[in-house]
Parts: sequence; structure tokens; C-alpha cells
Amino acid sequence: MARTLSLRMRIGLAIVLALLVVLGGRLFHIQGLDPAGHAHQAISNRLHTVEVPAARGDIIDTQGRLLAGSADRYDIVADPRLTGDYTVPDEELGMQRPVTVEETAEELATLVESDAEDVLERLTAEDTHYSTIARNVTPEVHQRIMELRAPGVYAEPVSERTYPSGPVAGSIIGFVGVDGPLEGLEAEENEALTGEPGERIYEVGADGVRIPTATYEEIPAEDGQDLRLTIDQDIQWFAQEAIAEKTSEYNAQWGNATVVDLREGREGEILAMADSETVDPSDPAATDELFRRPLALTQDFEPGSGGKSVTFAAALEEGVVEPESEFSVPYRMTVDGESIRNARSHAEYDMTAAGIYARSYNTGTLMIGNRMEEQTRYDYLRQVGYGEPMDIGLGVEGQSILRPPEEWDRRQPLTTQFGQGYTGSVLHNVQLYQMLAQDGVKHPLRIVDAHVDPDGEEHLVTSEPERIFSSNTSQEMLKLMEGVVDYGSAMGAQIDGYRVGGKSGTAEAAGAAGGFDGYTVNFIGVAPLDDPQFVVSITVHRPAGQFGDWDLTNTFRDIMTHALTSYDVPPSEEESGAYDGFVGERQDYPW
Amino acid sequence: MSVLPLAEPQPAEHAARRRAAASEGAKPDLKALPTVQRRQKGLIVGVLMLLITALAAVLATNIYVANSQYDVVQMTNEHRDLVHQNQALSQQVQFLESPQSLSNSAVSLGMVMPAPAGTIDLSTGDIVSGAEVASSSEVPSSFVSAPSSLQPELSAGDVAEHAETSASGLLGTGALHTLSQPSAGENSPGTATGGTSPGTDLHGGTIPAPKLTD
Repeated sequence: MARTLSLRMRIGLAIVLALLVVLGGRLFHIQGLDPAGHAHQAISNRLHTVEVPAARGDIIDTQGRLLAGSADRYDIVADPRLTGDYTVPDEELGMQRPVTVEETAEELATLVESDAEDVLERLTAEDTHYSTIARNVTPEVHQRIMELRAPGVYAEPVSERTYPSGPVAGSIIGFVGVDGPLEGLEAEENEALTGEPGERIYEVGADGVRIPTATYEEIPAEDGQDLRLTIDQDIQWFAQEAIAEKTSEYNAQWGNATVVDLREGREGEILAMADSETVDPSDPAATDELFRRPLALTQDFEPGSGGKSVTFAAALEEGVVEPESEFSVPYRMTVDGESIRNARSHAEYDMTAAGIYARSYNTGTLMIGNRMEEQTRYDYLRQVGYGEPMDIGLGVEGQSILRPPEEWDRRQPLTTQFGQGYTGSVLHNVQLYQMLAQDGVKHPLRIVDAHVDPDGEEHLVTSEPERIFSSNTSQEMLKLMEGVVDYGSAMGAQIDGYRVGGKSGTAEAAGAAGGFDGYTVNFIGVAPLDDPQFVVSITVHRPAGQFGDWDLTNTFRDIMTHALTSYDVPPSEEESGAYDGFVGERQDYPW
Repeated sequence: MSVLPLAEPQPAEHAARRRAAASEGAKPDLKALPTVQRRQKGLIVGVLMLLITALAAVLATNIYVANSQYDVVQMTNEHRDLVHQNQALSQQVQFLESPQSLSNSAVSLGMVMPAPAGTIDLSTGDIVSGAEVASSSEVPSSFVSAPSSLQPELSAGDVAEHAETSASGLLGTGALHTLSQPSAGENSPGTATGGTSPGTDLHGGTIPAPKLTD
């Protein structure tokens, strides 16, 4: 053996070294520079990013009872490219048992309660890799479907809205469609309810289990805010029952009962806004379109005699009349060539202003209203809210049509004094009585009490009160309303132990073809008058029968009594403060 | 790198001796290598043992961690199932608590609408309004229908049974709240390892096969 390496060895060694250098270079190229992004690709293969869905906020009532919540559901979908016949291990036989796609379709159809042929069609659809077999199945059904272990059948977790009380307050809550919220508070407050989804990033090994020591990051989801309403579920239900009964009794097109809180600190809060028929948010299609949104906002109509309250309050405020001012009230009178008459024929009476209000005489109202300028009366109508849209934060604005005096026709200067010739929604009318009952101060009606953060922090929704009438006018108006219930047009509204006041109204309803072809009947009342706690409004649209057949006071009495007892309102201590309706001793003149 | 260092590995002493022998032209001088000393032997065995122990420890840890991961999967699934069961039960409670259901239950128990309550002025002792006897014909109406999609899910069991068999307070709001909270674990519903549940075919093993899709 030579002491130095032979030439052959040297050449061999050089080749090996050269190869080593090449390999080293390649290694450095791949590992160090990684121009093809292999390492990145490997990580991204292992790396899973999963969206952590934010829980949609609940909608609760003023007492914290759940009106809308969320539950875990699954959408069952199929990839028709992967479906087909397959085998499952059968424990009894101890071997693999073949299952045809038709059998799969039948089993699926039984589980999701649909048609087997339809399911088969979806399982074998061509030109698609995604077909939905069933939506919103319960975890129970989902588990059973997964136990079939059919290839190409997957489940996607979704969150379904649940409405535990069904149609109670359905039109207020609104509903959610496949692509998102469609109506009501679900739509209007969608942003607050939705929240921010989070993210979870982790690495998964080939066996599908997370690699415990590898990357793990979590950006937590921010859940949506809960929505606390001013609605009282119990009173809402009671009012819905009561108005449905009344509407059915008169075979009317629709009815509405609205209850508003006047208690201190809760002024203007809507406790109930009940329609004769209400959408069940779980199944909106089952209900007529009219009843899918709150009627108290969507429907506007002439307030009728209820509108006389604006004329009387304005006259008292302007000082052109006192409650006991005397008038000689005929059945019929002619003003500016226009003939105006009362609902029923009667002899000419010597009455007080209070009596005119209690018996709701149009002629007497004109005698009082005409003591003011047209513009003044118009300004008061505007101040109490007519002619302006009504927004209570529900995404639906109540409409009110009131033309300025210069656009009035020949009758409107007269008719607007007794609630005709302009329209308003139920809530326009309720707002008027809210301010008359509460010292003349308008507290804008609202339905959302607070947004509640997931950590429990509350953001209260507040509104700015505004004085419209003087305290004195408000007090006098309550006494006038008491006369209506004591001896006037709504004696059925009396509640034993409580001082009750209110005003009934009937107006002709405009038909689709123009002209009037029906009536809208309403009654709005306040109790107890010594310290008003609630306003209850009852409206029935197009009841069957003749003018004068209808009486809403028993529905009012039921709902008001329920509200008074539910909230432990003590009976009135004072005697009635109603003024005499007629001049002199005798008060029982015929209608 | 040069060629020279490659020639170096042999012990220098040995190489020198070989060079000497070559120059003398004599036969190769064969000599047994000195035996490894006992102390060195012990060291090697020790090192090997240490290596094996370390390897075993790493293996054991790995198996343990992997198994725990499966446990986590299983427990998460169990948690999710319980959450779902709880959701179904609380939905039943909510259904039964809805005003319509309460009214219907009351009617089936023979209850009627209340008559006006009586009131007494405590300061004077006067009866402000007298109570009346409720009329047996005053049954609450049922115009408002029960929620359509929320018929109690019988599969989850009847909430009444659970209430009977559970310790008092288990079905209280606290318990509902605890169970209905979203899982804090990394394998909550909808993530990579969801989809298995107790009762799945284990293919003869004890650990459920994880699935990627839910």
C-alpha cells in the first residue's frame, strides 16, 4: 500500500466530494431557501383555521323571559360525486354488508322526514358537488345520519333561531330567513345581535387529531349583545288573546291592542303591542302577509272621535274654553256652507264642554274648535305627532298623513277637529294619550329597553321627554276622559275600585277604490287617573255590522285589569273628578 | 477540505510503527489490540441505557399525549352531546313556560279566569272593592297557537323525568347555564375532530376513530 493515495482513489474521492457539494447545495436550496414553499405548504396542510362562530344574542322581555334564542342544528348536505353504494360492517353477520344508494336515500328520507325519491335525486344529482338534503336538523337526527356512515353525506353545523313562545310578540321580534334576518327586531338590531366571529388555528396530524405540541392560536369570538325589550310577555299574550277574541267576535279585518307603561322611570315603554293574528317567527309563511309586521305601525287610519282630544287639549291650553263652559249643542249645524251632524239625532242640549267631550258631539266640538285659528289647530296636531312618521326603533315607521291648512278642502277645516281628514297609526294615537296622561309631557314610545353585553353590562336606550301641554291642561283632560267613562260614550270601561278615563272613536275607513266602505273603531283609556300607570288602546278595523254595534270597552277593561293586578297597582283613593255634562241639575238626558 | 486529514484517523503511534516495519521490509507486525477496560465498558453500557431510557420516556410521553388527545376528543364529544341534550331539555322547559302552554295546562287542570280581586284599605279597614267568585264558565280563550317548531323533542327524554331523577337544583338555571356554555376546548363542535360520539363503531378498538369532517 502506497503511503499517498492512488490516483484512482483521488479521482473517486473528488467525484464523491463534488456530489456531496451538489447534494449539500440542493439541501440548502430546499431547506434554507425553499423557493417552492414546501415547508410552508406542509405547515398549511397541517394547519387548520376554524371559524369560531359568535353566538347570536338572545331577545328577552322586560322580565328576562326568553323570546328568541339560538340552538345548535345541522344542515345535511351531500357531495353527489362521492355518494354511491358502499359497505358497512354488520355485527350480527360479522362481515361487511353492502348498502345501495337507494337504501341510503330511503333511510335518510325517514330520518329527515322527506320524500325518498327526492333525497335520491339530491344524492345522485349531476354537475354539482353540493346539494342540500335537509336544513336545521336536530343534533339527535344528525347523530343518526352520521351513524349510517354513508359516503359523501356531510353535516354542517348551523345555529337556528328558536322562538319558545311562538306567535307571542312574533311581529315585533321578526324572523330570520335562510340568508339572514328579514323582519322586525331580528333585522333592525341585526348588527348588535350578531357579534364578531373568532378564529382558532391549530395543526392537525395525518390521523386527524390535533398535534398537541404544535401551533395553537385562538382569537375568541365576541358574542352578540342580548336585546331586552320593554314588552312584557305575559301582558302581550293576554292582549293577543283578548284582541283576537274581539276581532273574531266582530269578524273584523284586523284588531290591535297596545299597552304602554306610564310608571315612573318607564314612561313611554310599550308593554304590549298585540295584533289579532300574529306571525310565528318559526314559520312566517303560514301567516298572512298583513300580520307579519306590527299593525300598530303598518296601518294608518282616521283617528275619529279620539282626535277630539287634540281639539279639547288645544282649546284648554289656549284658554279659549274651560271644562265647564256652557254651550247650546244642536244635533246638526252648518258652518261655512258645510253641514255637520252628530252620530245620533237628539234635541238641542245645554251642555258643558266636558259633556260635549263625554258624549262626543261633533257639533259641540266645532263650537269649541272654531274659537281657534286653523293654523293653531294644525300646529297642535303636528306637535302631538300627527303628520310625522312614528319611529320606535323597530325598523317600521308608522305613517301619518296630515296636510297643511292651505291644502285643506272645504270640509277639512271642520273634520280635522273631530279626528277625520287626517290619518295616524295606533301608536300616534297612543302617544297622544300618553302625553295627556303624563302631565302634558311627551315621552317618545319605545320598544327596546337595553342592549346587554355578553358580560352583563347594560346599555339602556333612553329618549328625551318634551313638554307639549301644561300640567293644568293635562289634569283637566284626565277629568274630561273620566266623564266619558262615568256617564259618556264608554261606560263599559269602568273598573271597580279604580278611576278610569278614556275616549272612544269611530271613523270611516277609506276603501281601496276611494270613498269609505267600512269603519275603524277604537278606544283608548288610562288608569288609575289619580296616578296614571298604563295606557291601553284597542283598535278594530272593518268590523262586520252597522255603526253603533261595536263596543270595545270590555276588551279594554280585561287588559287594563290584567295590567293593574299584574303590577300590583293599588285602587284609587279619590272619588271621581268628572265634571257635570249638562247645565243644571238634570244629567240623564237621552242620547 | 483536503485529502490529508482523511489519512489521519489511524493512531499516530500505530502508523509510525507501520512505517518503521515497512522500511525494514519485514513481515507485518501483528499485535492484539488492548482490551477495553472494565470502566470504559460500564460507561458505554451506561450511555446506551441512558439512550434507551430517554427513548422509552419520549415514546411513553408521546403515547400518553396522543391518548390524552383522544380522551379530549371523546370528552369533548360527550360534552357536546350533553350540551345538545341540555338544549333540547331547556327548549322543552321554555315551551312549557310559554304563556299559551301555561294557559292550556291550567285549563286542563280545571282552572278558570280570575274574578276581580277584593281590596281592603288597611289604614281604615274599609273594604274598597269586594272580591267575587270566579265563574266556572270563564275559561281562557286559546286564539294564540302554540309555537309551531318547538314541540318537545321526545328523543331527548322528557324534562319531567329528568327533574324527578335529578338531585335538587340540578335542573336549575345555574346547571342550565353551565351546560349551555360553549365548550372551551379546542375540539368543540364544528372543528376537526367532531363527529364521533359514544356508541360509534370502534372497529374492535377502544378509541373512536376521529373524523375530519363533522
